[in-house]
Amino acid sequence: MAEPYLVVEHLTKVYERGHVVALKDVSFEVQKGEFLVIIGLSGSGKSTLLRCINRLIEPTKGRIFIDGVEITKLSPRQMRKFRRKIGMIFQHFNLIKRATVMTNVLTGRLGYNPTWMTLLGIFPRSDRELALKNLERVGLLEKAYVRADELSGGQQQRVGIARALMQEPELLLADEPVSALDPATSHSVMQYIEQMNREDGVTVLASLHFLSLARRYGTRIIALKDGELVFDGAPEEIDDRKFKEIYGEEAEEVEIR
Amino acid sequence: MARIWPTKLDRDRLRRRFVALLLDWMSWGYVAYGVMYFLNDYWWRIPLERFYTTLTLPPWGWPAAVLGTLAMAVICQVSGYSLGERALKLEIREERPLTKEELLMGRAAGKPFWKTQWGVMAVFLLALTVALGWHIVKIDPEALIHPSPRAREMLSEIFPPDFRHFRVPDPAFELRGLPYSILDLMVLTIFMALLATVLGAAVALPLSFLGARNIMGFSPAGWLVYGIVRGFFNIFRSIETMLWAVVFALWIRWGSPLAGIMALTIHTIAALGKLYSEQVEGIDPGPVEAVVAAGGNRIEVVRYAVLPQVIPSFWAFTLYRWDINVRMSTVIALVGGGGIGDMLFYYKNEGKWALLGAVVITIVAVVWAMDYLSGRLRERIT
Amino acid sequence: MLSGYPEAYLKERPRWMSLDAVADFFYFGFRNLRKYLSIVLLDMGAIGILWLLMNYVIIRLSTGRIGYALVPWWVFGLGVVEAAALWESFGRSFGHRVARVELRRTDGGEPTATQRILHWLLWHVSVLPIFPLLFIPSPHERVSGLELRPFTMEGRTPKPWWRTSTGIYVAWLTGVALLAAISVTVSWEDLVRLFTKAGTTAKFWRSFFSPDTSIILKTIRDLIVTVFMAMTATSFAVLVAVPLSFLAARNLMRGVVGRLIYTVIRGMMSIIRSIEPVVWAIFFLVWVRVDLTPFAGVLALFVHSVSDLTKLYAERLESIDPGLIEAIAATGANRLQILRYAVIPQIVNPYISFTLYRWDINIRMATVVGVVGGGGIGQALFFYLTGNLWRQAGTVMLFIIALVWAIDYLSARLRAKLA
Repeated sequence: MAEPYLVVEHLTKVYERGHVVALKDVSFEVQKGEFLVIIGLSGSGKSTLLRCINRLIEPTKGRIFIDGVEITKLSPRQMRKFRRKIGMIFQHFNLIKRATVMTNVLTGRLGYNPTWMTLLGIFPRSDRELALKNLERVGLLEKAYVRADELSGGQQQRVGIARALMQEPELLLADEPVSALDPATSHSVMQYIEQMNREDGVTVLASLHFLSLARRYGTRIIALKDGELVFDGAPEEIDDRKFKEIYGEEAEEVEIR
Repeated sequence: MARIWPTKLDRDRLRRRFVALLLDWMSWGYVAYGVMYFLNDYWWRIPLERFYTTLTLPPWGWPAAVLGTLAMAVICQVSGYSLGERALKLEIREERPLTKEELLMGRAAGKPFWKTQWGVMAVFLLALTVALGWHIVKIDPEALIHPSPRAREMLSEIFPPDFRHFRVPDPAFELRGLPYSILDLMVLTIFMALLATVLGAAVALPLSFLGARNIMGFSPAGWLVYGIVRGFFNIFRSIETMLWAVVFALWIRWGSPLAGIMALTIHTIAALGKLYSEQVEGIDPGPVEAVVAAGGNRIEVVRYAVLPQVIPSFWAFTLYRWDINVRMSTVIALVGGGGIGDMLFYYKNEGKWALLGAVVITIVAVVWAMDYLSGRLRERIT
Repeated sequence: MLSGYPEAYLKERPRWMSLDAVADFFYFGFRNLRKYLSIVLLDMGAIGILWLLMNYVIIRLSTGRIGYALVPWWVFGLGVVEAAALWESFGRSFGHRVARVELRRTDGGEPTATQRILHWLLWHVSVLPIFPLLFIPSPHERVSGLELRPFTMEGRTPKPWWRTSTGIYVAWLTGVALLAAISVTVSWEDLVRLFTKAGTTAKFWRSFFSPDTSIILKTIRDLIVTVFMAMTATSFAVLVAVPLSFLAARNLMRGVVGRLIYTVIRGMMSIIRSIEPVVWAIFFLVWVRVDLTPFAGVLALFVHSVSDLTKLYAERLESIDPGLIEAIAATGANRLQILRYAVIPQIVNPYISFTLYRWDINIRMATVVGVVGGGGIGQALFFYLTGNLWRQAGTVMLFIIALVWAIDYLSARLRAKLA
């Protein structure tokens, strides 16, 4: 097997004097081009795990390698540079609501441009061209100069995807990208992410609520329960018993189409 | 069929056009005022007193000024240099697809505002305002840096503050024949605020339901009561407590705490009444429907559907108001309202700076503590 | 048995006598101490205030003076402490109510009389010297077999308020406070005048319908000065308050130095805010030369506005959405870029709205500041009032009301647009 793209070793995150444990000794590997789905109940540590990978949250213990670089050892400055390669999309989109879609998409290039220029709101022509290209890709070219809060939820998430695309990422972290959307829109958003994975070869780590979505899009699934890794394998391997183990005895699987 | 009367949309445009013209007219009137002000001061060297009392306009000046500014406003509207058009969103934009270049560089999002025509006007008005403001309020950094001799005397005496009369009454300071200490008057002041708040809240509470649209219904009588109550709130709220205190000080007695209480109460009724009734209007209609569906009358609706929803915020507003009332009551003595302000202004007039320092520190401590306490309580409630 | 520790901690406790164990002893000990002390202080305060208020009533009604001391201070102190101890051992005290706890046996049952007496006696050994509270459970609870448990209504019926000690206390407090307030502030003669002398203000109201036209131009001039005073003070205050607000926002000031700056600025601002603009005006009228009256008023408004705006701005900053900051940080942006693209877009409109609101307040304040000689229309009003020129005073008041109303309306409309 080839050298794995992302390696997480014994990752632990604790809050409040060691008495709240969010992640407990989590280890796994991801190959380049994989679509890895993380499932688990709310509060099982999915968000913390994703945020540890681009160090929006500092891990307490453990090591993370991306493309052979130990990112847990990078200085904040180096980490900022490294983050350019890691795109991220969020459950609540996290767009600048009062700014135009164009501005929102351009923020994806902040890490590539000198600070003084971005502070004045100036972006190079090539970046603007790229922004239009990416907006066209997610089907929102018409909305380029519309304020972000005038868009629907699904459209806002597509702006979020375009913003991540601007970074020309190698790795995409998606933190429950469709939880705030209705089922029909969910699939359209997931398909854009899948497209990124297939066509651009972006490695994707997505946390999802619904198992059906995870089965449909993931090439591999890991499951977290109370901060511990309880499952790691192909989507087909999750049977009824496994499901109850991850989600608890009273859970019932729902289909989302 | 040809339309004779303007449609609703047209009427709306017409109305907006009129308001826009009015705005432009007013802004040009302002410009004219500013220009006259500086001409008087720097060119004709007429004392400002006279300028203000006569405006130094010749008899034909008035119509000329009115018509001139109107003409300028019209010119603005025609040429596009109009703030009013912008404020009322009357700008006419070309409807055409964006060119590639515009799409790329964001021209569609508009120029930066200082490059637009209305932006030029806005910057001009702003500059005029700064210049006028600087001149009218006589800003003088020199005076700020070099304090007056009296200030030096004050500074040398005020530290350390003299707390000797904190508990022991000051024989030199008498109100109606009795000497008072700082503590006595501080307690008196807090009590004033307390009474005003309790009285005010007690009156505002029933009134607020009469001033709530959703409670009063839409019958003519409902409209009438609503209008009267809301009008009362608005009028009385806009009259400062200090002005009320003057009235009541004349009425009762200069320096009577009761005058201060009455002034604070009236303002509290209006302010709290408005806040309360807005809160009542903002309730969740669900429980109201439930009570009505169960056969409740209007009183029962208020008791079982409205009150439970609004009581926490009512408490929060009342506490907030108490906080404000304590602040106000410390200085209401200035206009004859009684309280610790009497002592404050007495020491200030006598130039007893060390004693004044003690009074001010006490006031700060109490107001700060009230602020903190009411903030904490409000956090807990809401 | 070991209640008071989080459950996760009890499962994985550090080794006995390790450094971690010592650190945890103090960490949880101080949390315990704070819990008990806050309850005790609340109870002592509640009892003390009630006693003092009763004294105010008694002294005012018997001697006509404002006083609070019926007993020596040490009797007062001992009485308050002892009353608090009794209340906490034999009932559900005010402090218990506020903390939403109640005294129960460790097995959850109702305490027996012996346990309550033991709790009360040992309270003096354990709570008064403070230090024993560091132990969990504290000595008085360990021995009496009682503990403070979260209060729950599950499986119980509520008592009416007049059957609970806190209910009775609050009712008493309300009654006594109102009685004290009335007896201290209101005298009989004043009350009589309030109901009989309404006619003295008639000359004043009359001027509302027949304003003195000869002073209108002068009054308008004063109005203009007042508006400009407010405007100048507000704009300068914004220039100072905006940068200060970033230093006074808890979520932006991390680390020891940051916290220190935050605390100092917030503390200073709340002290400055506690002094009314009128008092500031007195100060600045002494500070600057006498002929610069509007300037002194502006300085007073400026100082107060800075502190108020800083607080409002900083509170807004503290409630910004952290998600956007995360999103921008995730693109590899640095701190300045995060500020520009994640923080500023969220605060621009609220800041403008607060500024308008403050401008509105400053106009009202400017009229008041004028009364002490700060210039503008307030000064004119005070001049007429002290000269017994009622008609003119009424006219000026008419103008003030109109101005305040107009500005209030304008600023409310603009703010509604921004929201």
